Amino acid sequence: MESGNILEAINLSKSYPGVQALDSVNFLLKRGEVHAIVGQNGAGKSTFIEILAGSIQPDSGSIIIDGQDYVRLDPSQSIERSIQTVHQDNQLIEELSVAENIYLYNLPQTKLGFVNISLCIRHADDLLDRLGIETRSNIKISSLTFVEKKLISIAKAFSRKAKILILDEPTASLDIEGEKILFDIIRRNAEKGLSIIYISHDLGEIFEVCDRVTVLKDGKKIAAHDVKNVEMETIVHEMIGRSSHSLYTRVLNTARIKSDEKLEIIDYSRYKVVDHVSFSVRKGEIFGIGGLVGSGRTELARIIIGLDKKDSGKLVFCGKDITPSSPYDSIKKGIGYLTENRKDDGLVVIRPIFENISMARFARDRHIPYLELKKERTTTEEIASQLQIKTPSISQLVINLSGGNQQKVVLAKWLYANSEIILFDEPTVGVDVGSKSEIYHLIDNLVQQGKIIIIISSDYLELSSVCDRVGIMRFGKLITILEGAQINEENILKNSLGVTMEDN
Amino acid sequence: MTNRILTKDKKVRQLNQSFVLIIIIAGLCIIATVVNPRFLRITNIINIFQQISVLGIIASGVGMLLISGDIDISVGQQVSLIGIILAMIIQKIGGIPANAPNAWLSGWAIPMAIVVSFAVGILLGIFNGLVVIKSKASSFIITLGSATVFKGLALLISGGSSYMLFNRFATLGRGRIFSIIPIAILFLLGVVIMSHILLKYFKFGRFLYALGGNKKAAFVSGINVNKVTLTSFIMVGVFDALAALILISRVGSALATTGDAFSLDALAAAVVGGVPIIGGKGNALNIFLGVVLIGLISNALVIMNINPYLRDVAIGLLIIIAVSISAISDQRK
Repeated sequence: MESGNILEAINLSKSYPGVQALDSVNFLLKRGEVHAIVGQNGAGKSTFIEILAGSIQPDSGSIIIDGQDYVRLDPSQSIERSIQTVHQDNQLIEELSVAENIYLYNLPQTKLGFVNISLCIRHADDLLDRLGIETRSNIKISSLTFVEKKLISIAKAFSRKAKILILDEPTASLDIEGEKILFDIIRRNAEKGLSIIYISHDLGEIFEVCDRVTVLKDGKKIAAHDVKNVEMETIVHEMIGRSSHSLYTRVLNTARIKSDEKLEIIDYSRYKVVDHVSFSVRKGEIFGIGGLVGSGRTELARIIIGLDKKDSGKLVFCGKDITPSSPYDSIKKGIGYLTENRKDDGLVVIRPIFENISMARFARDRHIPYLELKKERTTTEEIASQLQIKTPSISQLVINLSGGNQQKVVLAKWLYANSEIILFDEPTVGVDVGSKSEIYHLIDNLVQQGKIIIIISSDYLELSSVCDRVGIMRFGKLITILEGAQINEENILKNSLGVTMEDN
Repeated sequence: MTNRILTKDKKVRQLNQSFVLIIIIAGLCIIATVVNPRFLRITNIINIFQQISVLGIIASGVGMLLISGDIDISVGQQVSLIGIILAMIIQKIGGIPANAPNAWLSGWAIPMAIVVSFAVGILLGIFNGLVVIKSKASSFIITLGSATVFKGLALLISGGSSYMLFNRFATLGRGRIFSIIPIAILFLLGVVIMSHILLKYFKFGRFLYALGGNKKAAFVSGINVNKVTLTSFIMVGVFDALAALILISRVGSALATTGDAFSLDALAAAVVGGVPIIGGKGNALNIFLGVVLIGLISNALVIMNINPYLRDVAIGLLIIIAVSISAISDQRK
């Protein structure tokens, strides 16, 4: 074994009844290397990192860490060997301070056995300074923004003197500035000799921050490349067995039913978050809303459908005032809202697929008190197969589906509710490349049917390839609406950051 | 492929809940029969069902509320309060047999008592429901408070004394059809079947599961969450009124505390019947099996001539075991 290798996995296999999650996977991680693992949902990425974290035991194969051979790891061994994982979801304790969260596993104590909070804060501040995170450590987690929380999770992993850091989708829902800070931290620490395993759906990121990339597909390792010497196209091809062409071209750029019927969003305001936003969307058009996280995009959607209270705002559809007062009222008026976090308020994951799909429809048709189980079954089954939700049965609990399929269930819910106007908030977060293009096709279909679609997204490629017009929000204001040739990733990004406005 | 396997697992687990309950119930029956063969007599079996009829009705209501993710621990006090009002109306308006009552008025005593009982049940449900909705506080704490309020009210209006029915209004609790089947059992079965239908074939039932599974998602999906919550608290109140009618009719008198013990027993039955304390799952038939199990424990201890005070120990342990098993099997996912 080369001295430069910190971790090596040899012929790792893991099977579950009926599925080979990992199939003789070899993997080599060098010291100071940022190594991406890519693959579609179900490719085996999660299984692989969970084996390294010790929470799953492999069936065969071995793991060599720093020259020491293991047949399996348990979580404490994994931590002992300085492997740290930053999970996709926030695992911080909201009511404790940043410092306490970072050192929760080993809080410094005074002689009397009390928590030495000042020492704890001092250590934490030092750590945050070293990492280049501006957040101070004496404030409560609950008062942090989403981005700050993510950064604190990463700082927590660093506090344990990690030699190998596993980042699972670290940029999911992170805005550009957050990403910048994160990439900066990654680069600086890799230079100092930290090895990083980086899991992401976003190939762009990988080309920006990673040294090597290993591609998994159906539990098998397909290839490993130096990022410098490989084209994005090749990786995409290896991930899905199709060319990237079909994924990234603007499949949606077909003639649309344009008409004078339009939805007008008039003067929506909510103190401190949304500042007098007005725009209109024509029938048959996809309107995108870009901007950084926290720019008021989601908040705008929430006040439009009546989830949160607004200070002002009127919704006019074809000249008729349809301003909803509550989500229930929204549904009655044919407005659907795909929330940005499907697990939080999009799905009832412990219930079956068909119950989730029919939920909004049933809420809308309030005059029918009973359930038509047979009809429900056949219609939801139809929609599920139309959306290609991969499941043996629609009685399956949603919790057992992959992220992409869960997202399709949320989509199915609003289709079944017969919504005329649908607001998509981050429609493809945590969705694999294949399902992404399927979802875009679905959205396109909806527009062809004359529905009005608004997409809120942090994925600028998504906005630029899917939308007809893109409004950019910044500090609660709608600062500009890009049209036609103006719509490209760079323009969306620049406007979101306010570059064109402030630098000139 | 993975999904298919998981589906099977889920089905097995769901079956397990009923299966395990039936096994335990059968085991208990066998032990009781071996110790005392009289246990298996038809009269004893009918007796058991008559004894659990009140608990079964209350537990059906609380169980459905629990599925929606809310809880009502004031049900026992609701039964007490409704019961004492019921008995007072019958005694005060119907009169005491020794004093010649106003014949015209006394004829109205029982219908009036029944109507008032249901009205009070609805009012108590509205009270709990509205406070829970408006305060947005946990229903556990709110109904802990209202339990004390209801108990206080019952003591206040009754002055702490007991009210007798003097054999009036005895049919509901003691009457038997063809001198065999107690009327109360029919009400119990009616409520259980109705609950089952409500949960399985009505939107209201479906919404209860949605609320218990993820209230925010239910709200965003356009379900009128507050209305569903209010309706389920009222439903609990109505079930409690029916339970109070049967209970007081059977006992023949009422105290301000007659129903208090049902709060915890009903909750225990729902939990033992497989409704997780956070809601989202469960069904009416399993809740009924939970009720049967609890009724059986009381009866079996008596018939096996074991100290009846052991009952609470046994039921308490049963709750702990039931919750632990479901928690452990959840972790294995």
